[in-house]
Amino acid sequence: MMDRVRAKQGRARFQALCLALRPDLLRFAFWLCHDHALAEDVVQESMLRAWKAQDSLEDEKAAKPWFVTIVRRELARTFERKRLNTVNIDDLVELEDSSLAAGDQTDLAEMRAAIFKLPEEYREPLVMQSLLGYSTAEIASELNLSQSAVLSRLFRARHQLRALCGEDTIGDPKE
Amino acid sequence: MMYHEQYRLAVLANPLGNDPELEAHRAQCEECRAFTDRVLAFERRLVSALKVTTPSGAKILPFGNRTAVRHAKGGRWLALAASATIAFVVAAGIWLTPRSSLAADVVAHMAGEPAAWKRHAALSAGELAPVLKRANMTLDPKAPSVSYANSCDFRGQIVPHLVVQSPRGPVTVMVLIHESVSKASQFDEQGYRGTILPIPQHGSIAVLMKEPGTTAAEIDAIAAQVRSAIVWGSSRSVIER
Repeated sequence: MMDRVRAKQGRARFQALCLALRPDLLRFAFWLCHDHALAEDVVQESMLRAWKAQDSLEDEKAAKPWFVTIVRRELARTFERKRLNTVNIDDLVELEDSSLAAGDQTDLAEMRAAIFKLPEEYREPLVMQSLLGYSTAEIASELNLSQSAVLSRLFRARHQLRALCGEDTIGDPKE
Repeated sequence: MMYHEQYRLAVLANPLGNDPELEAHRAQCEECRAFTDRVLAFERRLVSALKVTTPSGAKILPFGNRTAVRHAKGGRWLALAASATIAFVVAAGIWLTPRSSLAADVVAHMAGEPAAWKRHAALSAGELAPVLKRANMTLDPKAPSVSYANSCDFRGQIVPHLVVQSPRGPVTVMVLIHESVSKASQFDEQGYRGTILPIPQHGSIAVLMKEPGTTAAEIDAIAAQVRSAIVWGSSRSVIER
């Protein structure tokens, strides 16, 4: 009886954790794979894996990086399993525009189109820092890079993004 | 001594970094201060752009029990059948088990948005207005200065997430227009102390701080001040910041 109660409480806690983290995990996956449906599948599968491996999560405060690692691996597996079709970014932006542009936020749609145009090696650390709130050290650890390499990629990402969005980059430094 | 190029490289790599050397350079260099303001404004747009709308997760969390989950790795039809079963179990589970507490979800949301605490300067009217407008609200002049505003996905709904500056430090305010509560409740979770207040016909607001030593009475006073400063609908008494 006590075991059943404990299991039920454990499930409720895990569900709460997943509910809280799911939006950012979906966004993270979306910015890496460019596809809402695929992002949902990947996050769904990641949560299954997380649920099965939940004993390896020792500290709930570390849940976010733990889930992010699982999502990254699941994405890599997905890309390995099937060679995903390459897409024209301009077509994609046009297709996604209605879901990406929330209401009258056309400048956000423009920014989103520009984010898609960044090389993945710049986009991923940028999303980890700006969306997930990762520190440089955390990004370096997740991507298996040195901290200076991460900082360099983040600089290039923002520099390119600002240029793509028509920002004044005259004051930007040369690397 | 830090030079402009070095400073700007560092700011573009990490706009919210708080290295003392960077802050010292910023304090003495007007051009780099202006550069930082532009980068921070761009960063706010970037964060908003990254936060694409996501579907509500309540219906499709994939786990019921660990045994059921194993079936999901079988063939495609088996996986579909298992998914349907799991969905049923989860739906039943969600129906029968209590939803995670509103306070816990607010705190979890906060933890995912560390940038919100780092800015202290007041937002301009142009930055604040769109966030408030989406919730059909504005703030009157009694409101404390707002240093951060974002339209956030919370429990599948877009709600305003604000940080206001109080004498006790930054205070997070989430206007939970879709979450009705019957009475005020205080919480103290993961180092955050706060309160959730009902707002008749407009859901509720969550007000929380992470300043150690903040008392419940102080939180209540700030919450009351914020609540009374919210103007709903298209009132003409609104003053734009």
